[in-house]
Amino acid sequence: MPATEEITETLIRDNITRAVSDVFKTMLGREVSLTSAGEVADDHTWPPLGNPAEAAKPHVVGTVGFLGDANGLVYLYLDLDFARMATCHLLGMNEAELEETGDEVINDAIGEITNMTVGSFKNGLCDAGYPCKLTIPSILRGSNFCIEPISSATRQIYHFNCAGHRVVADILMKVGE
Amino acid sequence: MRYKILTVDDSKTVRIIVRKAFKAFDCEILEAGNGVEGLAIAAKETPDLILLDVTMPVMDGVEMLTKLKSDPALKAIPVMMLTAEGGRDHVLKIAKIGVRDYLVKPFKEDVLIEKSGRIIDLKPLSEWPAKAKSIFDPATILIVEDKPAIIQQIQDGLRHTPWKVHGVVAQGEAIDFCARTPPDLIIVSLSLPEESAFALFRLVRTNIKTKYTPVFALVVKTETGQQQQAQTVGFSAIITKPIDLGELETKMAKAMNLDTSQRYYAFEGDSLIMRLPENCAPSVLAESANYLKPKFAEAVDAGTNKVVIDIQQLRSLHMGVIKLLFQAMQTCRELAMQFALVGNAHIISECKGFEDTRNWTFYDSLEDAKANLGKSPAAPQLATA
Repeated sequence: MPATEEITETLIRDNITRAVSDVFKTMLGREVSLTSAGEVADDHTWPPLGNPAEAAKPHVVGTVGFLGDANGLVYLYLDLDFARMATCHLLGMNEAELEETGDEVINDAIGEITNMTVGSFKNGLCDAGYPCKLTIPSILRGSNFCIEPISSATRQIYHFNCAGHRVVADILMKVGE
Repeated sequence: MRYKILTVDDSKTVRIIVRKAFKAFDCEILEAGNGVEGLAIAAKETPDLILLDVTMPVMDGVEMLTKLKSDPALKAIPVMMLTAEGGRDHVLKIAKIGVRDYLVKPFKEDVLIEKSGRIIDLKPLSEWPAKAKSIFDPATILIVEDKPAIIQQIQDGLRHTPWKVHGVVAQGEAIDFCARTPPDLIIVSLSLPEESAFALFRLVRTNIKTKYTPVFALVVKTETGQQQQAQTVGFSAIITKPIDLGELETKMAKAMNLDTSQRYYAFEGDSLIMRLPENCAPSVLAESANYLKPKFAEAVDAGTNKVVIDIQQLRSLHMGVIKLLFQAMQTCRELAMQFALVGNAHIISECKGFEDTRNWTFYDSLEDAKANLGKSPAAPQLATA
């Protein structure tokens, strides 16, 4: 069984870039470009969203894990405005209809977008020799918050630009085992 | 038959997308949020297709699929996986349990429809369920012909119709066109190179959006072998070159199931006008006769009891026309409707030459006929059929 530490940054970057691009293009009709990428140092450079003004915006964060020969979690950050826009597009709703249906619909839609993205990312790992399975999605909402990994995890953060909106993929993977 | 499709997914978003994707098709969508609910609904409703996610709470898709396939009453229901769980090994493992197809998320709605259409015979819902499209409604026609002059000839010949006639010269262009705008009717020339007309026909028939679109074969009159081949594979009609544009238009209207009654029947004020065109070929007479009784009955139902039979445009009288006119008059008598005839000098003169029609009385204009019908309760003198 290959160790997770053998999974290279290139494999992670290529897989997450392909996954985000595929999902946002197919489900939302939006082109996505990778704007910055990199491993986060041990001193935990927070927040992952970068500048404080960006972090202060309300966000919807979807998270899905993967378990198996590769273990980890991916957090997908979307600002609330973009999350609403994405939900409307996905479900064929307008803003007024979305207002009527409430926040749960947005949570579910972003949960599914995250599920698809992490699924696509994880399928790339499976095909590279690291079979693993997805977990059920969950959602975090808020602003100015940060998630801290346990010490044995590696972390990579990827910033994407999608039609002027920032999408952040925060990938935590457990080393070894 | 209305198909039942069961979507089993813990994401309401996916269930809404599935519902949205099948909205234009004649099917009922059933929903379940996990494997336990999915099995219960499958047992109760016996759906025609199950779309199944893998990662779900309570009972996941693999367990549901295993239980479904071990139940003699349910194992025949086709299952298509619709899941973010891809990866070669995973797909192979699930495929072994028994699935008809596997669609990995993210997915396009078109792909979901196309794959489902291969499992069940999806039929599009008519956009006009209550009222048939008429010859005055727009329609999109696609001509696939490698000779631009023929495309031009058909476009010119159909210019008086509200139909938008598009021409393409190659199979690839036709496929792209159909993907963008599914046409109401397709005319394909059998002279396209390398039998690509037949390949195109097969593609049109396997695409869910064009599965029921009428496809005409365009072929030189003497190419009987190709005509037979086209009939065998199931082209909707064969149009021979040189093209009789009148015949083509009639066949197209019939194939598109258009209501052509307005060509012959119109309500004007308190009268029903029955109008015959310049040339009354057998197909025209048959078409007009088909609508005769329903249109007269519709008039009576709406409180109209006056009919003006207008044959002013008719060029010559023949037995087919006379029979149709007798049928119209007889229907008027049965429904206690008053009627009057309007004709041109030539037709009136021809009527004098036949024993059965020499006593028919004509008015010179529609206005005269309408005015006199209003005044007099009695119909003009008529011959007996």
